Amino acid sequence: MTEHTVASSYKIPVGPLHVALEEPMYFRVSVKGETIENVELNAGHVHRGVEYLATKRTLLQNMILTERICSLCSNSHPEALAMAAETIGAVEVPERAQYLRVIAGEVKRVASHLFNVGILAHLVGFEALFMHAMQVREVAQDLKEAVYGNRMDLGAHCLGGTRCDMDDEAIAFMRTALDKIEPDVRELEKTYRTNGSILRRTRGIGILTHEDAIACGVVGPVARASDIQYDVRTAAPYHVYDRLPVEVPVLDGCDVWSRAMIRLQEAINSIEILRVCLDHLPDGPINEGGDPYIPPGQAIARTEAPRGELVYYLKTNDNPEPERLKWRVPSYPNWDALTFMLKDAKVADIAIIVNSIDPCISCTER
Amino acid sequence: MTRFPENFETSLIAAAPHGVNLTTSTDDHGVSVMWCELADRDDLSAVGECLRSYHARLAMVTANKPPAPEEEEEEHDEEDEGAAEAEAHLPEQSMSFGGTPQDGTSYELVYHFDVGGDYVNVVAFLPAGGSIASLTPLFRSADWPEREIMEIYSVTIANHPDPRRLFLDESIEGAVLDRLIPFSQMANASTSDELWARVMAAAKEA
Repeated sequence: MTEHTVASSYKIPVGPLHVALEEPMYFRVSVKGETIENVELNAGHVHRGVEYLATKRTLLQNMILTERICSLCSNSHPEALAMAAETIGAVEVPERAQYLRVIAGEVKRVASHLFNVGILAHLVGFEALFMHAMQVREVAQDLKEAVYGNRMDLGAHCLGGTRCDMDDEAIAFMRTALDKIEPDVRELEKTYRTNGSILRRTRGIGILTHEDAIACGVVGPVARASDIQYDVRTAAPYHVYDRLPVEVPVLDGCDVWSRAMIRLQEAINSIEILRVCLDHLPDGPINEGGDPYIPPGQAIARTEAPRGELVYYLKTNDNPEPERLKWRVPSYPNWDALTFMLKDAKVADIAIIVNSIDPCISCTER
Repeated sequence: MTRFPENFETSLIAAAPHGVNLTTSTDDHGVSVMWCELADRDDLSAVGECLRSYHARLAMVTANKPPAPEEEEEEHDEEDEGAAEAEAHLPEQSMSFGGTPQDGTSYELVYHFDVGGDYVNVVAFLPAGGSIASLTPLFRSADWPEREIMEIYSVTIANHPDPRRLFLDESIEGAVLDRLIPFSQMANASTSDELWARVMAAAKEA
């Protein structure tokens, strides 16, 4: 009888192009049987050098450049850039514009979170739920199209305020859409909380312990699902968030399911925030008119993008172009957490776990 | 009034024996941003330890190569000539806090920390060819930013546990932000006959 020697562990590539990944990332996964032993990340497939381009453009041009870094948080980038420039220039943003900025951000959060939990249902193989979540998200997309003229709320912000105003008709349209979407999102939350198919594939999967989460410095729903109570909207309030009913849900499940539940609860809270904003939207100008002068200086600005804390550092000199513009997107620290989440996981769960950090590669690599 | 813990500033100052330049501003929401320039970059690890004891989270590291200050135009009239001449004898080099020459060849590294919602930005200055200690042993989240800095600038991060390339492939020459790369070359659209020569060579081989 001949003896067959079988290697005890294998290396399998996942990516850079893979059916379960929306963007290119390359994982070198070492497996023993069905179990993952180690993961190595190989990034850089969509590195475009946007930070260099930013130093060749004026601040106004950078408002347009930065919102093209990412599709799902296209609103948060120019928002944070404008906030950094406004800090340097001591520009007072009109109150109405501050409310409008919150509205733009929260509509985006609803749409972004629904997209992520929708994809989760798709990866679980629950296609009916995936399509339902996307249909609910479509209402939020319509809302963006109606108010901003495009489905990605591009061009909502400008230096010193906002570019898009909302008239009574738009406000009424948004109220109707929110009334329509709220019971649906609550229903989705209940489904993700109780449905056996979802629970079986997501509970106890992709564990990121509280200690590991702190070590990696993760942000956003990934951090809050590992019992880290941190949300820029409450930790370092900006715009008018200190006057709004922002709730920061925290779970200690540390798994894929907890991350999805945090997102759904935040979406429900965002609808509440939007209603309060519409009720209290003050009259007045929405920007200063014209571009404000930004003197030489440096500043840091942060916003809570759907995926977590987005940081912008801006340094200006006498030129209209910034001397340095640097940003760190929420996905950037969250990638590292995947090495913990994927450890000892099953090969079949890779896609579900990767999706649970809601990764954005074009954001990370710039 | 800031939200920073009591004695926070004094412990930072004590952690950097070569000196720090602290400026703090607090906005209308009560959120503070502190800038902490280090006179000597060797104090970085000690300052990092100090921030770690306050449960700081390293959020971002920015590297920058500030351009040399523009030469002041001589706008002096005849009456000022004497003064201008006297100035000309003085060293005109502008210096950073701590005495790193700001001549367009030095770097500044900004480490952005979150301390309970407030931000502390630690600024370290490096002369050309200088190296700085890695913060990765203290903060796991320094790993990627430091690797990224090493591939886009000729900055050495000493004792980095895993100094591989992050985004750029090994085949690409490093320090991409230190070099002038013509756009046509970057976009593979340079009007040379290089591509044509390669096509012809390939055709000959076939």
